[in-house]
Amino acid sequence: MYPWKRRAGWWLRNPRFLLFQAREAGGFVSALFGLLLLYMLVRYHEGVASYDAFLAMLSTPVALTVLALLFAFVMVHALTWFLLIGKAQPIRFTKKPLRAGTVFAINIVLWVLVSGAVLFVVFGGL
Amino acid sequence: MADKDVVFRVKRYRPERDVEPHYQDYRIPYTDDMVVLDGLNYIKDNVDPTLTYRWSCRMGICGSCGASINGTPRLTCETFIKEVRGRTVVVDPMPNFPILKDLVVDFDDFLRKLHEVRPFIDRKEEKPLAEGEYIQFPEEIEAYRQQSMCINCMLCYAACPVFGASEHFIGPAASALAYRYIRDSRDEGADARLDVLSTKTGIWECTFVGECSVVCPKDVDPAGAIQNLKVLASIRQMRQLLMPKWTRR
Repeated sequence: MYPWKRRAGWWLRNPRFLLFQAREAGGFVSALFGLLLLYMLVRYHEGVASYDAFLAMLSTPVALTVLALLFAFVMVHALTWFLLIGKAQPIRFTKKPLRAGTVFAINIVLWVLVSGAVLFVVFGGL
Repeated sequence: MADKDVVFRVKRYRPERDVEPHYQDYRIPYTDDMVVLDGLNYIKDNVDPTLTYRWSCRMGICGSCGASINGTPRLTCETFIKEVRGRTVVVDPMPNFPILKDLVVDFDDFLRKLHEVRPFIDRKEEKPLAEGEYIQFPEEIEAYRQQSMCINCMLCYAACPVFGASEHFIGPAASALAYRYIRDSRDEGADARLDVLSTKTGIWECTFVGECSVVCPKDVDPAGAIQNLKVLASIRQMRQLLMPKWTRR
């Protein structure tokens, strides 16, 4: 009997595996993003000078590039999970569960609405 | 009439003479109505009788003829040669399993896992025959119908990268069949199955890649079944933690 050996780079041979790996990496990156925001609070607590210095550091081209990359991974993570929600836990209003595409669309609409509400509050709408 | 030809690149492994698997090419004639299994049968009947592979029904029912065709786990009896991209049909044994010979892989591990999840209607006590059959309403059948379509072809295991990384993982088909019986209104074995499925090597190893459902020739959706099992296992665990013993079923 010849044992099975998985080849290195297996996840590069199937686009769905590649997307899966991006989703998993996106989960790790989302956690990093959260830590960054928490650290931002620490700097804010230290005073105006410390916070401004941190914001200036985040505005450098290198930091902006890294942040854009992190944001892209967070987006992949969010969108791929939105695609999976309808499959992971079928949502039923009638006998038949909602189609995964419909659940995805509902999530996108809710996401836009919530983001809009947050932006409205943050930029002094209330 | 065969007016075209195609190259079959078939993975060979004969344990009595090969140290490791290698490819062997066969150029054969084909017609548009031929499936990959027909091509393999042509090779065995006319070119190389030593080629070894499994098959039986030729109509996508028995689940015997699974193989990796140009990198994707599929039933050879359901894959038309004309559908395969390129001029070469590359046939490998199903990934993630040890090879016994050529395209024949070892399923013993799956059969052991299948046995563990009790793939049958499990009742604490059978009612007397005089009381008649167990009647089910259409919606009760619908609750498990999709998972009952599984033909144990193992394509889902061949596609699953989690099983490829950890052979201890109970895997898609065994989980889907466990879910099928848990959802059956006649069954009373949910607790015993969830005990098996909730272990370290059970459903929690699944990271929801979803490829098992993509390759399933019967649209069983094992990935969806596993996520539903996770919910059932979580509810059961919370009940055990929070509710008094007499309220549990």
